Amino acid sequence: MPRDDLALLSDEALLVLYANGDPQAARALTQRLAPRVFAYAMRVLSDRAEAEDVTQEALLRLWRIAPEWRQGEAQLTTWLYRVATNLATDRLRGRKRRQADALDDVAEPGDDQPSAVAGMIEADRMAALQAALDQLPDRQRQAVILRHIEGLTNPEIAQILDVGVEAVESLTARGKRALTALLSGRKEELGYDDVI
Amino acid sequence: MTMSSDHKDHDPLEALFAQAQAEPAVPGDDFMARLIADAASNQPAPTAPLHRAATVRRRAGFLPRLVAMLGGAAAVAGLGSAAMAGLVIGYVQPDPLWSLADGFGLEVAGESLDLLPAFDTFLTEEDPT
Repeated sequence: MPRDDLALLSDEALLVLYANGDPQAARALTQRLAPRVFAYAMRVLSDRAEAEDVTQEALLRLWRIAPEWRQGEAQLTTWLYRVATNLATDRLRGRKRRQADALDDVAEPGDDQPSAVAGMIEADRMAALQAALDQLPDRQRQAVILRHIEGLTNPEIAQILDVGVEAVESLTARGKRALTALLSGRKEELGYDDVI
Repeated sequence: MTMSSDHKDHDPLEALFAQAQAEPAVPGDDFMARLIADAASNQPAPTAPLHRAATVRRRAGFLPRLVAMLGGAAAVAGLGSAAMAGLVIGYVQPDPLWSLADGFGLEVAGESLDLLPAFDTFLTEEDPT
């Protein structure tokens, strides 16, 4: 099938073509989905190598289930975000375990230790946002990124995070409040000193 | 200006979200090439296109196609039996029919058209000498 025609097809239709052995579909689907999963994983993990691992693994799982994919049961992107979220969560947990082990060997931090945001040197807005996102609890961060950066709906996020829609609303609301608080000390640097 | 863009302009957090949406992290070319290779190596083998199956059917011989057209082997056997029965009925003189008709008291015109009047001579074993 010509490449222009593939661009008009839905993700699910492309996956059927992929399962039927169409090599153009393999390329088109990868080029369509991989950047989205990678951008999301980067926001959640703040680490390129880990984001690449998560993206690669999520797509591998998609290729493996492609022949059994049932049209209409789930949206492909929702399924993929869910897999990526679970993989990222596993990595965040592993990271915390390693940090906890490392902290056993060092002195207790004092209360006056500056936060990561306050201690940041660069004034770049995106870096500030990422640093603030990194401060959020995992679920809040994932919900805020999915809602406000990936632009998904609350019901879609509920499916991805395996929680109710009300829980999603609560997670995003708390996440936004926490982000506002974390960034409030940097309003001047970020060019928002005349607002709020 | 719309309400939503007004909102984004005045809410620093919304403005940051909008900027983050517009500037997503982009995967590198090498990484994308690796992903495409993964997709290809995990892809199921192509299924046979439908037109190939049609071509195979077209290549079947004349007799199988004729049999298929008539409705299969059973239909052809029935057709052959009916043809043979017709031949026999046409060849045999209808004398038994007249006897049967007489038995029921029916009067049937006993005329028949003899299409091969000299045919019997070929069946006799008389010595011509």
